[in-house]
Amino acid sequence: MTIPTPIPMLNLIEIHKFYDRLEVLKGVSMEVKKGELVTFVGPSGCGKTTLLRIIGGFTNLDSGEVILDGQRIDHLPPNLRDTRICFQNYALFPHMTVADNIGYGLKIKKWKKNKIQERVEELLKLVQLEGLGSRMIDKLSGGQQQRVALARALSLEPKVLLLDEPLSNLDANLRLTMRGEIRKLQERLKITTIFVTHDQFEAMSISDRIVVMKEGVIQQVGSPIEIYERPSNEFIASFVGFVNFLEGVVERVDIGLNKATASTPIGVVQFVPERNINVGEKVKLVIRPETIQISQSEPTGMNNIFQGEVEIGMYVGSLAKYTVMINGEKFIIDQPNPRETFFKPKEKVYLSIPENIHLLIKTEIHQ
Amino acid sequence: MAKAESYSVPQSNVWERLKTFINAELINILAAILFLLLAIFLLYPILAVLIKSIRDPQGLTFAYYLKFFTKGYYFQSLQNTLLLGFINTVICLVVGFCLAYLTTRGPLVLRKPLKIISMMPLIAPPYLFAISLIILFGRNGILTKAFALNWSIYGFTGVVVAQTLAFIPLAYLMIENTLMSLNPNLEESAYDLGASEGRIIRTITIPLLTPGILKAGLLVFVMTIAEFGNAAILGGRTPFLAPDTYTMIIGEADFEMGSVLSVILIIPCIIIFFLHNYLLTGKKFTTIGGKPVASEPRKMTPLVKIPFLVIGFTAVFAIFISFGVVLMASFTKILGVKNEIVFSHILNFDSNRAIYNSIQVSLIAALIGAIIGTLLAYVIVRGKFFGRTFIEMVSLSGFALPGTVIGIGYLLAFNTPPFKLTGGIMILALNCVFRFLAVGVEAGISKLHQINIEIEEASSDLGANFMTTFYKIILPIMFPAFIAGFIYTFMTAIVSLSAVVFLVSPGFELAAVKIFDAAVYGEIGLASATTMKLVAIVVLCMMILNYLTKKTGFDITQKKGV
Ligand SMILES: Nc1ncnc2c1ncn2[C@@H]1O[C@H](COP(=O)(O)OP(=O)(O)OP(=O)(O)O)[C@@H](O)[C@H]1O
Ligand SMILES: [Mg+2]
Repeated sequence: MTIPTPIPMLNLIEIHKFYDRLEVLKGVSMEVKKGELVTFVGPSGCGKTTLLRIIGGFTNLDSGEVILDGQRIDHLPPNLRDTRICFQNYALFPHMTVADNIGYGLKIKKWKKNKIQERVEELLKLVQLEGLGSRMIDKLSGGQQQRVALARALSLEPKVLLLDEPLSNLDANLRLTMRGEIRKLQERLKITTIFVTHDQFEAMSISDRIVVMKEGVIQQVGSPIEIYERPSNEFIASFVGFVNFLEGVVERVDIGLNKATASTPIGVVQFVPERNINVGEKVKLVIRPETIQISQSEPTGMNNIFQGEVEIGMYVGSLAKYTVMINGEKFIIDQPNPRETFFKPKEKVYLSIPENIHLLIKTEIHQ
Repeated sequence: MAKAESYSVPQSNVWERLKTFINAELINILAAILFLLLAIFLLYPILAVLIKSIRDPQGLTFAYYLKFFTKGYYFQSLQNTLLLGFINTVICLVVGFCLAYLTTRGPLVLRKPLKIISMMPLIAPPYLFAISLIILFGRNGILTKAFALNWSIYGFTGVVVAQTLAFIPLAYLMIENTLMSLNPNLEESAYDLGASEGRIIRTITIPLLTPGILKAGLLVFVMTIAEFGNAAILGGRTPFLAPDTYTMIIGEADFEMGSVLSVILIIPCIIIFFLHNYLLTGKKFTTIGGKPVASEPRKMTPLVKIPFLVIGFTAVFAIFISFGVVLMASFTKILGVKNEIVFSHILNFDSNRAIYNSIQVSLIAALIGAIIGTLLAYVIVRGKFFGRTFIEMVSLSGFALPGTVIGIGYLLAFNTPPFKLTGGIMILALNCVFRFLAVGVEAGISKLHQINIEIEEASSDLGANFMTTFYKIILPIMFPAFIAGFIYTFMTAIVSLSAVVFLVSPGFELAAVKIFDAAVYGEIGLASATTMKLVAIVVLCMMILNYLTKKTGFDITQKKGV
């Protein structure tokens, strides 16, 4: 017996978009499952907003398909699509009260007055704005406006919710709180959501899956852990968090023992090969700062121990950040819980690099 | 600063002390002089009209006002004028909105051409449309004869049509401006929530545009009721206030009733001027930050598109045809009657002399206007004296005052010594200076707001006195505003009719007056040719302005004078 694969809630097929001669989206394909929160992340100008506007129906695509819940919708105007968008600037109607904003769509759907009122109350409660229904928009704080925009978008229970950098207008603290709340709300309502941001940490902390984009091309799709631990190219590796790259040539591969070595500028590094590699192949080792252990005395019984000299040490409280030079190569290291063991510049230290290192092969390395 | 200097002055040297005093107080002295000028050339004439309307040899009287409100004819005139203003405003706003919507939201191919034709009336004197209507629908009109039409263009309808066409750009530009500054995400959000285009317009676009539309409406209303040419040429037997004042003064020499009509006409204008300036400022919906999104052309639904296109195209077509027939009439013996190509109208000696006179008067007006405008702007922005707002208000009020009223005012005020000016060329220039001061002053103010006051202070810290600062710092920076004021005053002065029609003396005719006379006496070819020459001059001025805007980067054209 085969388990039927559920049809995705949203399916983007080979979407191309040109502005004049500039190709902004170069064949974007992607599936979003029902109830999933997928984040599109990428540097400014990579086409996130454009993609969102295409899904919402505000921008025409040049070729490709948008399929919502099994039905093709790319020819439909926004008012006939079951998607709802929250613009970056919220676009709340400034001449209406909070309640009128939230009830706007319901009124168009010809709901009865008391039904609308009930639903608006319910939504206000959902976004924790009870009692503010009669306020005018300009009498709200930024965070409250954000909530109204959310409530308005949720009012008609869309199949897909589209959020374009919803937190970018909030200050840092509020951004953290709202991030958590949006996620909680989304999980509670099980609403399929596409969340656009250019903040990789925001993406990491909120998503079921992350789509990393660059220059109109999807670079990688995966869970936050996959994206962080197994970035599929150099761009992604350095886009999410800091990373030490170590170039090398594969020297030995032992499939039986599941071990391999590579010669690098700092010496021979042992690692567990995650995939098929050949001797003599050029690779780039991806070593995250927090995976390297730093110590004063040489650890025993371990491989990949290298001696270096502290160049810079920064004490940040919960951790210390070091720049350590090994054989002319610069390494960034995060040391958790530094306390008494904080190292000063010029001190000799031992670094221990783990063996389960992610590595990039030739095609994944930028020239 | 000034105090510190005066301490260092030796007590004995009176001359030095005087110089220091002048230096320190120069801006106040300047303000006083400018205020005096405004008082003499703007307030005093208006006052003279007011006084004339309530005085008889025995003293104070309201008999003339009583006559106005009891005699049916006068009251009819007031009614017609207000009705004209109202109808005109409504039509202009509707047409302006449709055009603005099409040029900001409509099909890309239509945007440019629609915009250009919508703004064409700006380059023509308003009475061009009266002339074109006579050519088309007059007694010998092309269409009158072609379809054997039985109705006369002379009357209320004709005036409404001519005025509407003349003031479409005013409404269009102001509405377009607000439409463009509207965050497109607002309309898109409504669309997203299921609203149809018609509903978006009704519940989002128009409500958010209300302040802008209201402002445009008030302006169109004032301009319409004060406009003299169209009503005078096409009014026929239908009474309107502005042309009636003219008949009263020039035809019957009844200065008292002329003044009463003027005062009545001025009241709505002043009310609206205050509404416009003080009630509506700052009433603007703000939206929170985030990058503005480029508004992409959306597919307009036929339900909206078709009526908008019909209204927009009708207006644009009418404007285009009007220019076309006036141009044709300039080169035809009698268009529609004797269709021979002739150059006699264009080469007409009287017409050319009138144009020459107009250029002369307008140049004088432009020079004085630009100087006074720039100085006023400086005093208003930098001065710290009591009554600054009052000076600003007075200097901007000129455009809200009907030209006919200023014309009568000058006639009354400057007919006797000490200010005997009538019959001369200066009176023609001066009334233009003070009527059209607003544009120069506004351009100057906006330019001054761009300059950091620190530059000036830094300069005076370096020991430069006021005059040096003015020459070295302020003048160069203000120069674009000065040029803008100059060209605008010139452009408006050369086509303006309503005030100078009272002030021209036989033997020194102005082009606008020549056109008016020719149109009234049915010399349509001559009227058309002279109008087209004015159009050419205005176009030339606009091209110069455009060039200067590009060169200096100071958008002079956004300060739209009328
Ligand atoms: N209406 C438009 N006309 C022309 N080019 C456009 C338009 N909208 C977007 N672009 C271009 O398309 C590209 C992608 O823009 P988009 O707004 O989708 O980027 P983004 O990923 O959302 O960036 P950001 O993080 O800055 O919001 C950019 O190069 C942008 O300049
Ligand atoms: Mg964006």
